Amino acid sequence: MSRRFDIQYVFEFIPKLLAYLNITLLIVGSSIVLGLLIGLIVALPRLYNTPVLKRLSQLYVSFFRGTPILIQLFLVYYGLPEVLGWIHIDVSRLAVLYFVIATYALNSGAFISEMIRASVAAVDRGQIEAAHSIGMSGYQTFTRVIAPQALGISIPLFGNLVIGNLKDTSLAFTLGVMEMTGRSQTLGTATQHFIETYIALSLIYFVISFGLEKGFQWMERYVNRFDGHRSEQMLRASWRRPLRAVPLLGKGGKSG
Amino acid sequence: MIQLSGLSKTFGTQQVLKEIDLTVDKGEVVVILGPSGSGKTTMLRCINYLERPDAGEVRIGHLAVQGKHPSRRDIHQLRQRTAMVFQQYNLFKHRTALENVMEGLTVVQRIPRSEAREISARMLEKVGLGSKLDHYPGQLSGGQQQRVGIARALALNPEVILFDEPTSALDPELVGEVLEVIRRIAREGITMIVVTHEMGFARDVANRVVFMDGGIIVEEGQPEEIFQRPREERTRQFLQRIMPEPNYSI
Ligand SMILES: Nc1ncnc2c1ncn2[C@@H]1O[C@H](COP(=O)(O)OP(=O)(O)OP(=O)(O)O)[C@@H](O)[C@H]1O
Ligand SMILES: [Mg+2]
Repeated sequence: MSRRFDIQYVFEFIPKLLAYLNITLLIVGSSIVLGLLIGLIVALPRLYNTPVLKRLSQLYVSFFRGTPILIQLFLVYYGLPEVLGWIHIDVSRLAVLYFVIATYALNSGAFISEMIRASVAAVDRGQIEAAHSIGMSGYQTFTRVIAPQALGISIPLFGNLVIGNLKDTSLAFTLGVMEMTGRSQTLGTATQHFIETYIALSLIYFVISFGLEKGFQWMERYVNRFDGHRSEQMLRASWRRPLRAVPLLGKGGKSG
Repeated sequence: MIQLSGLSKTFGTQQVLKEIDLTVDKGEVVVILGPSGSGKTTMLRCINYLERPDAGEVRIGHLAVQGKHPSRRDIHQLRQRTAMVFQQYNLFKHRTALENVMEGLTVVQRIPRSEAREISARMLEKVGLGSKLDHYPGQLSGGQQQRVGIARALALNPEVILFDEPTSALDPELVGEVLEVIRRIAREGITMIVVTHEMGFARDVANRVVFMDGGIIVEEGQPEEIFQRPREERTRQFLQRIMPEPNYSI
């Protein structure tokens, strides 16, 4: 049986949970960095339309987008040692945390590769043709015209992704990792004040997400500062609004 | 001199260009007319290989580029000798007017930045945008953006500038300023091929008018000939549709 609600506990729990924030942030930070690397590698065959690799990358993305992250955690934790065992790599004694980071990295990698693909596809075809028409090579066009604009387009998508990743890390406790949510479970069990722990926990997640959202909005404005219209819209956007969805596909290139 | 010979292009089952032959002399202004879908844009885009023709040849001076799979180097050469002004302006949105014009000079022609800046500022001055160098495309009107597009083409000092309906996307009150700029550079003797529906402009500025329909050149000639005494029935019908009142009586 739960004890009576007591707001005092919320304040008491917050610092206790914050002591484990570093684990949460470690999972988010390292899985996002690895995810960017994976995402870029996975996006390449689709950007370059490489026949077989393109299929593989689609399969990878579909799998990680189409299955619950909870299942992915279990699959990686129990499955990876098996698979690596076949090639005689023993990871069975590795700390759980590494498996958790691997799962979130693989998962974010799938979404990030989609983000990269969509952002590149959203850059106006007409500008790419203009670049070609003045004699720029494919590489010059990519680095000087496509990439800078794709970056601006991808920031709100990336912001959503990081915030989603942060919230997903709360599932890591199912494998016994002591991050904030895991800690809240033990606090709740010890004191029987579950509701208070969840309130404290929500407050922490909310404040961090809110900070991230503001940060990404600022970054989007900064990167897109050439676009007067858009940055003005962003300034007016209220914080209650979710990060703005951007149109994913640019106008068809051919004019006339 | 620009010479197209036997230029053909098929999209799916539709043959859009049927062995087009066209010669444009140095300093000449050629206006291309024709109904929608007649292949005007496709022909223009084949000249700088934004579209690869299935067969035929594009020759500019001594450079001859042939068929569907020319070398990368040939295409690069061709694009260095041509410039295009697009219906939708296609300015680089993340660069200022000045940077838009400089881009080809610094990145492709490898001209030092200071010199490129000087050339670009002069070109923008020429199209009447001397005071807008540091504006981004998003801060310019359609007419101003198109004039930046023209400056970007001019700066490259190409042997020919290709215009694809440069005023079709503009509000009517902005058409005049852009046509005026094109008219001015035409007088400087720059070779131009212009696809347009602006008949008044065609009549004033063109040295030659080419009428296309169904992927072929139906007829070509001096503006007075084409507008007042078209030989072909198809040309007559097209002109009648575009200019219903007989305003060629002068
Ligand atoms: N990339 C493409 N794929 C398939 N069909 C195309 C493509 N580009 C053009 N076409 C077709 O080729 C034909 C000629 O097109 P084009 O754009 O050259 O005509 P146009 O004379 O410029 O017409 P408009 O006056 O409308 O600009 C059209 O029927 C068009 O649908
Ligand atoms: Mg056209």
